[in-house]
Amino acid sequence: VRPVRSWRDALTLVGFLTPALALLGVFTIWPAVWAIYQSFTNKALTGFEARSPHFVGLQNYTRLLGDPDFHSSMLRTFAFVLLSAVVGQTIFAFAIAYLMAERPRWRLGFTPLFAAVFLLPLAVPEAVAALLWASTANGTQEGLLNRGLGLVGLGPVEWLQAHAFETVTVVNIWRGIPFAMVLFAAAIESIPRTTLEAGLIDGASAWQQLRRVVLPILRPQILTFLMLTTITTFGIFGLVFFLTRGGPGNATEIIGIYIYQRAFQFFEIGLGSAAGVLLLVVLLVLGAYYVWLMREQV
Amino acid sequence: MSDELEIPPAVPEAAPRATSQAAARRPGVRVRRSLARTGAYLILVALALFAIVPFSWLVLAAFDRQASIFVKVPTAWTLENFVNLFTNQDGLRLIVNSLIYSGGATLVLVVVATMAGYVLSRYSFPGRRTLMLGILLIRVIPPTAIIAPLYIIATSLGFLNTYYGVTLVLASWQLPLALWLMKGFFDTVPIQIEEAAWVDGATRLKAAFRVVLPLAGPGVGALIAFIGAWNEFLIPLVLISDPDKQPIALGLFRAYISYTQVDWGFLAALSMVYVIPAVVFYVVARRALQQSVAGGLAGT
Repeated sequence: VRPVRSWRDALTLVGFLTPALALLGVFTIWPAVWAIYQSFTNKALTGFEARSPHFVGLQNYTRLLGDPDFHSSMLRTFAFVLLSAVVGQTIFAFAIAYLMAERPRWRLGFTPLFAAVFLLPLAVPEAVAALLWASTANGTQEGLLNRGLGLVGLGPVEWLQAHAFETVTVVNIWRGIPFAMVLFAAAIESIPRTTLEAGLIDGASAWQQLRRVVLPILRPQILTFLMLTTITTFGIFGLVFFLTRGGPGNATEIIGIYIYQRAFQFFEIGLGSAAGVLLLVVLLVLGAYYVWLMREQV
Repeated sequence: MSDELEIPPAVPEAAPRATSQAAARRPGVRVRRSLARTGAYLILVALALFAIVPFSWLVLAAFDRQASIFVKVPTAWTLENFVNLFTNQDGLRLIVNSLIYSGGATLVLVVVATMAGYVLSRYSFPGRRTLMLGILLIRVIPPTAIIAPLYIIATSLGFLNTYYGVTLVLASWQLPLALWLMKGFFDTVPIQIEEAAWVDGATRLKAAFRVVLPLAGPGVGALIAFIGAWNEFLIPLVLISDPDKQPIALGLFRAYISYTQVDWGFLAALSMVYVIPAVVFYVVARRALQQSVAGGLAGT
């Protein structure tokens, strides 16, 4: 690394950075700023408001805060994030990774094979993941899950109708947990063996080892992953939209689907933008913490 | 990861022996440990089944002439669905479109991210750290949050329903991650390699491109960009309404929700084609990806 010394350096620097910053500026930052602007207007996709929107002050926000659908969508999103990202993809995944990882006095066979199988769900695009589950969780007697239940004499369950929210949560865990496990297992194996053995010689049980040695050492990685998966889960759209389009009723209308429907099915761009801005605020707060965690990496 | 597995010799060899005395004093330990092992295997097998069972529809239906949404073993295995897919105009169109979007986005991204990553790594200037952290913060913005204004901007700039518009949007969404990756990659390439080329009379830029580019970094960035664009659903859903310009993800969705007559064999064959690059990608780039996500998203 060296400081910019000559005009030539400065020119190179600016010239090389500009394309990247321009792309980010036009397609990410401008829309984000525009979202804030638009959230104060009654911009619509059709009708009179489409051509000449005007300022409505905080009206979109007061409408959102008074809209029970928005409340329930927000709550549903928090539950979705808590269950699939925090519990499923972080806590549960870490526990299983601890089982999988090789450490002193604990070695399982076939772990590379398991790791390869576990990566498959993440490898499929959202659209295909949704199709796979549309078949697997089909609500009729012919659905794969229901045929399994039928073997033990349980009646068909209408997974995507009667239990839609639970089902899409499980589908999201299905997609995210394997990768998290493989990642955590690698992190656990990167802890020096001598560190772990010292604990064992002192007579620590596996549980004490986990709590006193492994978790404190891996705390930064776990936290970073937790933040990242939380943030991405807030933004999930395709997987759920493909499977249920937010239904039945609005049982699976997470915030991404709420925004999409207000903006593009009810044509209320202003309202959709306002909801987007609120989502953005939540994510930027989480993101600030994430960036703070990463501050030493620069 | 597997490097780690090879290391053990000396220390672990000694360790079990040292502890076996303790184990001998407590005869229950051995039994308990093998019970724990069995339990661990059971859990892993259950999870592997959970991971893999949903794929059964895809694998069976793609080769079934009378495919339906249900999982069933074909009475006669056939490649007809694939033949239909590639001879049918719509099927081929979708695949070509996806290749255009992903290929274009990859190209743009590799060029742009390599350039920026290089100077971010090699020069120090005021605000560099803030810029890097700011780029990281942009990463947290999901497409859903700003899709509505993006649509309006696309309308006024006129890139709605265009190949280049969607390609650029897709590239820009992968850019923060790619920038970090490339910067981290250049950090690991010693400047001495370039300096050697300067001595040979190359200008600084020539040296950078001739020496550094052939290394593996941009390749990993390209893979990640390609697959990110390949999988994207919401952006084309909103920005592309012209059926001739749909990527595969949209084609699958529109075919799936057409209530009239869903051609399940076609859907399965198309899904299969759609999945292949993604799976190949994970096989090829698994280690790089783990680093990029473990460290990478976490730093390097």
